[in-house]
Amino acid sequence: MRVLDIQRMSTEDGPGLRTTVFLKGCPLACQWCHNPESISPKPHVEWIGVRCIGCRTCVHVCPQKGITLDEAGVHTSETCVACGTCALECPTGALELKGEEMSEEQLFNTLMKDRAYWGKDGGVTFSGGEATLQWKALLPLLEKLKAAGVHTAVDTCGLAKREVFEALLPVTDLFLYDLKIYDPEAHRRFTGQDNQLIFENFEYLVQSGARIWVRTPVIPGATDTDENIRSLASVIRDRVEKWELCAFNNLCRDKYERLGKTWEFASAGLMPKARMEALTALAVNSGAPEAMWSGATARETE
Amino acid sequence: MAAKYENAIKQPGRLSPRVKWLRDYYFEGKTRKWNNEYNAYTTGTPWDTQFDELTYFIVPENYSFLLTFVQSFKQMAEVVEMDDEFWKKPLVERKAEFTKKCVVERLPMEILPGDLLCGARFNMIYSMCLTEKQQKDRDKRVNAARKSMKFLFDHGYGNSGATSGHLIPNYKKILNKGFRAEHEHLESLYAELTDAEKNGPRGAQLRAMMTACTMPKELAEKYSAFCKKQAEKCKDETRKQELLRMAEITAKVPWNPAENFYEAVQSLWLTHMLVMSDEKYPGPGVSFGRIDQYLYPYYKKSIEEGMSEDFMKEILGCFWFHCNTAYDAVIRVGNQGITAGFGQLLTLSGMGRNGEDLTNDLTYLILDVIDDMSPILEPKPNVRLHKGSPEKLLNKVVDMISTSQGAPFLLNFDERSMAGMMREAKYANGRITLENVCEYAPVGCLENTMVGNDRSGTVDNNLNLLKALELVYANGKDMEPYQDAMGGKPTKLTQDGPKTGTLKELDTWEKFYEAYKKQTAYIVKKMVDNYELSESIRADYNPTPYLSTLVSGCAEKGLDVTQGGAEISFVTMEGVTFATTVDSLLAVKYLVYDKKECTLEELVKALRANWEGYEVLQAKAQFRAPKYGRDDDEADAMAQEVMRFWSDEVWKYKTKSTGRQFRPGMLSWNYWIGSSYILKASANGRKHPQFLSNAICPSNGADVNGPTSNANSVGTALGGKREHGDFGEYVNYLPNGASHTITFNTSLIRDPAHKEKFKSFIKGYIENGGTALQINILDPDVLRDAQAHPQDYRHLLVRITGYNAYFVTVGKELQDEIIARESHKGY
Repeated sequence: MRVLDIQRMSTEDGPGLRTTVFLKGCPLACQWCHNPESISPKPHVEWIGVRCIGCRTCVHVCPQKGITLDEAGVHTSETCVACGTCALECPTGALELKGEEMSEEQLFNTLMKDRAYWGKDGGVTFSGGEATLQWKALLPLLEKLKAAGVHTAVDTCGLAKREVFEALLPVTDLFLYDLKIYDPEAHRRFTGQDNQLIFENFEYLVQSGARIWVRTPVIPGATDTDENIRSLASVIRDRVEKWELCAFNNLCRDKYERLGKTWEFASAGLMPKARMEALTALAVNSGAPEAMWSGATARETE
Repeated sequence: MAAKYENAIKQPGRLSPRVKWLRDYYFEGKTRKWNNEYNAYTTGTPWDTQFDELTYFIVPENYSFLLTFVQSFKQMAEVVEMDDEFWKKPLVERKAEFTKKCVVERLPMEILPGDLLCGARFNMIYSMCLTEKQQKDRDKRVNAARKSMKFLFDHGYGNSGATSGHLIPNYKKILNKGFRAEHEHLESLYAELTDAEKNGPRGAQLRAMMTACTMPKELAEKYSAFCKKQAEKCKDETRKQELLRMAEITAKVPWNPAENFYEAVQSLWLTHMLVMSDEKYPGPGVSFGRIDQYLYPYYKKSIEEGMSEDFMKEILGCFWFHCNTAYDAVIRVGNQGITAGFGQLLTLSGMGRNGEDLTNDLTYLILDVIDDMSPILEPKPNVRLHKGSPEKLLNKVVDMISTSQGAPFLLNFDERSMAGMMREAKYANGRITLENVCEYAPVGCLENTMVGNDRSGTVDNNLNLLKALELVYANGKDMEPYQDAMGGKPTKLTQDGPKTGTLKELDTWEKFYEAYKKQTAYIVKKMVDNYELSESIRADYNPTPYLSTLVSGCAEKGLDVTQGGAEISFVTMEGVTFATTVDSLLAVKYLVYDKKECTLEELVKALRANWEGYEVLQAKAQFRAPKYGRDDDEADAMAQEVMRFWSDEVWKYKTKSTGRQFRPGMLSWNYWIGSSYILKASANGRKHPQFLSNAICPSNGADVNGPTSNANSVGTALGGKREHGDFGEYVNYLPNGASHTITFNTSLIRDPAHKEKFKSFIKGYIENGGTALQINILDPDVLRDAQAHPQDYRHLLVRITGYNAYFVTVGKELQDEIIARESHKGY
């Protein structure tokens, strides 16, 4: 599996203490994405400027002769095939190869190191990117974890073929299901994809009795309208265990810089607390009693 | 203080007016009218000294003042005339008599407003009671010991010296039976001696201990009379009745058995306070043991008799106040933060003989008192957790952690701790068994010992493991000639350690590691030899007969506790710089032998240059070489091997003069900071004088995989788990235990759901982690604000090395270190 990252002692990806595996590749391209490095399914090299000492090792070792170093930092070129030589030789770890292949066994053993800390509620969460993109590799691992008595969660955007969810259902204890925008046109505009399949799959999981936590990122100017929340509430109703409205934050600005991309939301501020509370109340009043909100909000005093 | 931080510091809870007054009064500090400053007493002979510098050999920041201290106390000491008969008696009896005379006749007697406990002043420094010949011999031997100790420190080996306290006296015995029973026990033992024995050291020891037993009796009786007199003068009827009750209680305990909660706490305080006056600063670590267990029968009886829990809290509030007045010894130099801990540890909860949990109503009552009184330094609570700890206790613990700046207590972990105690059982004369090992308790900071019969010298030897590597790099010599900072000439390099090969000769990893092992064996032996000097001086000249009455074994053997009289008598060697050493070994292996990034000569050249001009190599050492603390199997295997080897070396030795077996531990107090200025750059990429690693903690910044991996690594380094471990499947190479600190961000415990998650972490730590954990919950912004506005943060407590201190009183470097450690953002 192409793993972007493993976060141990994760407190924000499901119940209890968890270990979260971020898998690489996502069919959506949400404009506000917090993990832009996760969108491409291919491995890539990332440069972390604060670690760089400008020693030029990467420039010398690149087999493609594709790395340049100037005052702005290290740049990889179009010719990069993510062979990982530079990341391997970089003395400070300023260059990292993201999305390395990990075997099922390797991943299983790494995850199980935290078993003592999961307790009765916690376990493993597969996130991304989009975890279901690698579903064929994911299935046997989920089976193995289940067999070992581990609680499993899959964090998904919902955009996958029905058969994927049919296969995941028996080995997934909890779905963290993203519902972002109700309006199909707006969904297409902000994420690049149609949302019909997403809502159909959601309906399927609800009807199958799956344990579901819905997550909706509250993004200024994109998902934060009354209308969107009211519409989503009409779909979600009281049929899920929890509906989390996640307040937008801009902590990932530097990721975009590292990827050399401009980000539309770079200067967008945090959501005001009052707005998050109002949206939650709206959701509840629109028939979704499990709605709650999370995340950092703007400081009222400043 | 910025307005947004106003709620950042824990505030004391609901305190009764009396306790609130005492607590506030304590914090008035040196402006107080009353304090517990040292009183010094001398026999008046021209050669007499009072201050025992041996006990300061483990406090390097005081080395420059040792002789000043000796002279100052000499000048301030009040003369207590002793008759000619006195000088005909053996030293131990002179000591017992002189101490008793000072305590009963000279120590000022006061009762503070509203105080429910008698026994206010106890800090005193008194005559060594030596004859001229003895004093001359002692001075000569102390000079030699000081020279040896200075060499050890200056050359980076660490420090060592026979230090006071660090044990749990048998308080339970006094509460249950009184000093009277102990006196009778001594009398019967004495009666059994032959005349020759009576005339010899054994007889003298027993006679001295009998005298010592009557010291608390006579002091309490004096307090009783004093209370009566105060009551007569008292116009307030309620207070008058209180004073009369105090008079009754002190007429009874600690000579007689206590019969209710109030009497038990009074008996405990007077008994303990006199140990404190015997054992003195620095940080004598005289601890209380399992207070919720041995006070429980008294609690239960008093509840049945109608005493309210609120009144018990008031009694305990007074007890808390008195424990803190120990600090008045250094009141004029202000609060010295980390160098001034008195380590009066009390232990709560824990496992019983059949694996059952022993949490009781008194446990929760004491936790409430801790919550109400904190932030405050003493007594230092320690909560023992194990697989069977109840949810109610864990919830309370997590709640308390989340409302203070960190745990107002240290967490001790039974299974791992008991595994270590079982490891030392074979050297403990049958006194530690699988049945009774659960009765252990920590002393000082977190050092595990048995209770009432054990002195294990838990802070007496502090060895920089990293020194062995420096000796390898220079084939058994120091890397650079030593030069006194006050402008001395560089000394000549000498062949101090064994010759383990030139750098060229160490051409395989196996050869290098062999050399490391030989140098480690050498530094351990070097410290053992150094310790013998001060240990033998103490055994000859510093008897503590009062403490000996409270340590089982001394009476039976007729030996003072300073002469190895305790039933269980170890000396601990604490390993310092563990992670720096492990990471340096890993870096040498990776850079020189595995990846061949450089030769060993080049690496040592880089270290001598403090990495300057070798930045790329340094980066590789820092960022590419494996590190302990991130749950990396290869690195942690190295950590375990280093642990196994050095601890095995420690077990090879006993003190010659007192027959005490050495045992290993890992507490670094503040040495990991001080020694970072002495030891050179290290192969893990650390420049001089960046801080070394603390106790068993991973190197700063090395634990990149978060707290669970950090805890797993610590458990593995201690020995991990095996099918047949030392206790169940748990293995623990360090019977003394190991200090582990993890700092979490405040967001981790922000709401009930997250508190549950944190509880889950603690349960995982019980399974996989170490022996003791200090938790800091700190917001780095608050700390930076505290650095900028120390006046607003006087009460901000932080915990380091199982050690608590007021943040604003610790040095800037350490403050920066604490802020840097606040590194687990997002967890």
